[in-house]
Amino acid sequence: MDRTQLLLGLAVALFSLGLLGVIVRRNVLVMLMCMELMLNGVILSLVTFAQQTATTVGAVLVFLIFVVATAEIALAIPIVLLLVREKRTLDLAAYSDLKG
Amino acid sequence: MIETLLQSLDTLLLLLFGVCALVAAALMIVLRQPMRVAMALISTMVFLGGIYGLLGVHFIAAFQVLIYVGAVMVFMVYVIMLLEVRESEGRRYSGLLLPGLAGFVLLVGAIGVSVWRSLPPHHDSAGGAAFGISKFSISFLNDYWLHFELTSVLLLAAVVAALAVIRVSRRADEARRRG
Amino acid sequence: MLTLIVLLPLLGFLLNGVLATQLGGNRVGKSFVTIVGCGLPILSFLLVVKVFFDLQAGGYAPLVETAYRWALVGRSSFEIAFYFDRLSAVMALIVTGVGSVIHVYSVGYMAHDKSFGRFFAYLNLFLFFMLLLVLGRSLLVLFVGWEGVGLASYLLIGFWFEDLANARAGKKAFVVNRIGDAGFLLGMFVLYQAFGTLNMDSINSAFGIGAAKVVPASLVGILLFIGATGKSAQIPLHVWLPDAMAGPTPVSALIHAATMVTAGIYLVARMSGVYLHAPEASAVIAVVGVATAFFAATVAIVQTDIKKVLAYSTVSQLGLMFLALGVGAYGVAIFHVVTHAFFKACLFLGAGSVIHALGGEQDIRRMGGLRQRIPVTFWTFAIATAAIAGIPPLAGFFSKDEILWFAFASTRGGSPLLWGVAALTALMTAFYMFRLLWLTFMGESRMAAKVEAHVHESPLSMTGVLMLLALLSAVGGFFALPHFLEPQLPLPVVDEALHHLEKPLLVLSIVIAFAGLAAAAYVFGAGTSRAEGLQRRFAGLHRWLSGKYFIDELYERLIGRPLVWLSDFVFLRLGDRVLLDGTLNGLAALGRRGAGLLVRLQTGSLHLYAWFVLVGIVGALLWSWRHA
Repeated sequence: MDRTQLLLGLAVALFSLGLLGVIVRRNVLVMLMCMELMLNGVILSLVTFAQQTATTVGAVLVFLIFVVATAEIALAIPIVLLLVREKRTLDLAAYSDLKG
Repeated sequence: MIETLLQSLDTLLLLLFGVCALVAAALMIVLRQPMRVAMALISTMVFLGGIYGLLGVHFIAAFQVLIYVGAVMVFMVYVIMLLEVRESEGRRYSGLLLPGLAGFVLLVGAIGVSVWRSLPPHHDSAGGAAFGISKFSISFLNDYWLHFELTSVLLLAAVVAALAVIRVSRRADEARRRG
Repeated sequence: MLTLIVLLPLLGFLLNGVLATQLGGNRVGKSFVTIVGCGLPILSFLLVVKVFFDLQAGGYAPLVETAYRWALVGRSSFEIAFYFDRLSAVMALIVTGVGSVIHVYSVGYMAHDKSFGRFFAYLNLFLFFMLLLVLGRSLLVLFVGWEGVGLASYLLIGFWFEDLANARAGKKAFVVNRIGDAGFLLGMFVLYQAFGTLNMDSINSAFGIGAAKVVPASLVGILLFIGATGKSAQIPLHVWLPDAMAGPTPVSALIHAATMVTAGIYLVARMSGVYLHAPEASAVIAVVGVATAFFAATVAIVQTDIKKVLAYSTVSQLGLMFLALGVGAYGVAIFHVVTHAFFKACLFLGAGSVIHALGGEQDIRRMGGLRQRIPVTFWTFAIATAAIAGIPPLAGFFSKDEILWFAFASTRGGSPLLWGVAALTALMTAFYMFRLLWLTFMGESRMAAKVEAHVHESPLSMTGVLMLLALLSAVGGFFALPHFLEPQLPLPVVDEALHHLEKPLLVLSIVIAFAGLAAAAYVFGAGTSRAEGLQRRFAGLHRWLSGKYFIDELYERLIGRPLVWLSDFVFLRLGDRVLLDGTLNGLAALGRRGAGLLVRLQTGSLHLYAWFVLVGIVGALLWSWRHA
């Protein structure tokens, strides 16, 4: 097994672990962090493919992902804070207002 | 000889970092307290940064640590500390633990097989075209200048959204205070 | 010029219809309505007279005038064209002439009616359509006029529509007419398909040349006759005419005596080119005609409403006209149309005068003794009665005798049987008409007291018209119409062997007329005791006749009720409610149930949604392997 396969396998595992975490964990903040984990898995796979070619397009994409992730977390946290203020709990099971 | 030793060291370190990142990620799922989960995530990210460095894309490793760990995760830790004081320990897992695990296995299998099949049989140069930050930045600001500009627009949108969120929260506060 | 003749009454309809009714806000008074409503038809009449002299000057070559090209379909074009020859001249003169005088009569009759303007508008509308009918060159224009007079008839029968019975009578007339029109349309389709044109002169000449081998003339003949049956109230579509008496009396006179009901006769006479080659159709026409004449006459004997007697009398006389057509004597039938127009209009208007004098009473059992009190009405009514009974030398005698003669002796289907039934009908006609005269005017008064107190003669606008029509009924027979029409509508050849019977049959006709008069005088002359005695002796027959042979009830049971059942049960309950509504409601219910099932997916749990994302990714990947 060479490096590429190894790294891609790791990327797949990270992504899947992140998605599992979103499904399985109850705490809202932990769910957010698992989403970050998913993004990291994606970045790893991008970097792996990027540095196989001579162009820089992969790196540019990685950079963009950084920016988006930052902006996303900058906004997701305040939204979560507002929600938490409403519900007074970090347990996601309480957030079922959109039921039905 | 040093070459082969260095190469094998390279591969060994890569393997080590990979395993550590994986273990830290798995820990994220298992740990109970959010602060500990945050620490696990930070360690995953740092190990990933190490992998990037080993691959030769040092500037991406730098970005990873600077932006991701330094900004995003610090913010995350800050919020955990902010909210944690009131927080009592709730249940750890949602109701979908078993279906989630089953799905996880399926997902790993499916993506793994898809990726495996689509890889060219003998690919080389994991480590080949390592490029430096100057090449990257020149290319970024010349060929991909549109994306660069769009990035700034995206950040602007984020700022505006943040302001909007503040206004919403203020209005909610007033509504609550008025009763 | 022909177009102008047709359009003048239309102008009257538009002016009166808009300005003199509630539609336009009742802007104008009665004098405007009178001047426009009567003046324009009179002007039309004068123009017809002028055109008639033009026709005469031109050696009676037909005048053709195309007004407008209606439609161009492929290579065939349909024009609105008018055609003026001898037959058109006669019909147009009657329509505009008798029509105009009835308009004048209406001024007096409807003077106190609140919808004065609307009445004249409708009368002018009728005149417009009737002129379209008689002056049209193609069957299409004729059909437009045909339908239009049906519309005008409906509007006028139900003129006092606040009374639901009147509205129902109008509806009945319209619906029964439509049934006949189905046959008419089928006939038109056959003709168009065969000849590519609907121009009646072209079709007639085509049959003359020999198209009878291509198109079955009898088929066309019978189809067109079905239409005529509806319009001219022959069996089995005669049921609307007695009910049509619900309309004002001028309407009954104009439409249901003088002009509209003769449209069927005109149609057959105009298409004589077809019927000359259709012996089967002609036989059917003759038999239906004489049967209708006989049956209507039997019903008329026992009617007690003055207008109903005249209505059944009209049906009977129309039957005699069809008898004439059926034996090939087209000109004679038209002759009878003309004389009938004179005396029947006079009779109806006279009845109107009586009703007007009695303040609305129509039951002849409550009349009597009016002879001295409304003399002008009495004398004009008496002259017209004598005319219809066939007393020489009045008009009816000439035309009826010609019909009887040709029914007996024509080589195109005349037979002693036809003559016998027709002669019997003539006897009954004389009988019931003189019965009507006696019961209405003679003897002791049987009127209610307060009605009797107000009996008065009608104004000059009404009595003047009565006198004019009575005069025409008297001298109209001397116009020798059949010979005038002979170049166009040849009289049928008479069986040589029977020629010597012409004079005896003539004498017999006169005897029949006077016999009817005598019988009526005997039964009704000296009070009602003899009549009542007869009624008691033939009580069953009397009930049968009074109920008009219960044909309306038969139609109701055979046709009306099954149709209502079909509409209610099959179409409404099954078709509309179960099928259509059920399908729509079912689809909606299906949608609702589907949504009810799907909404269970939305548990509000984000974990579940994320799990769905995972399953979706796995599914998509697995699906992509199909093409791996």
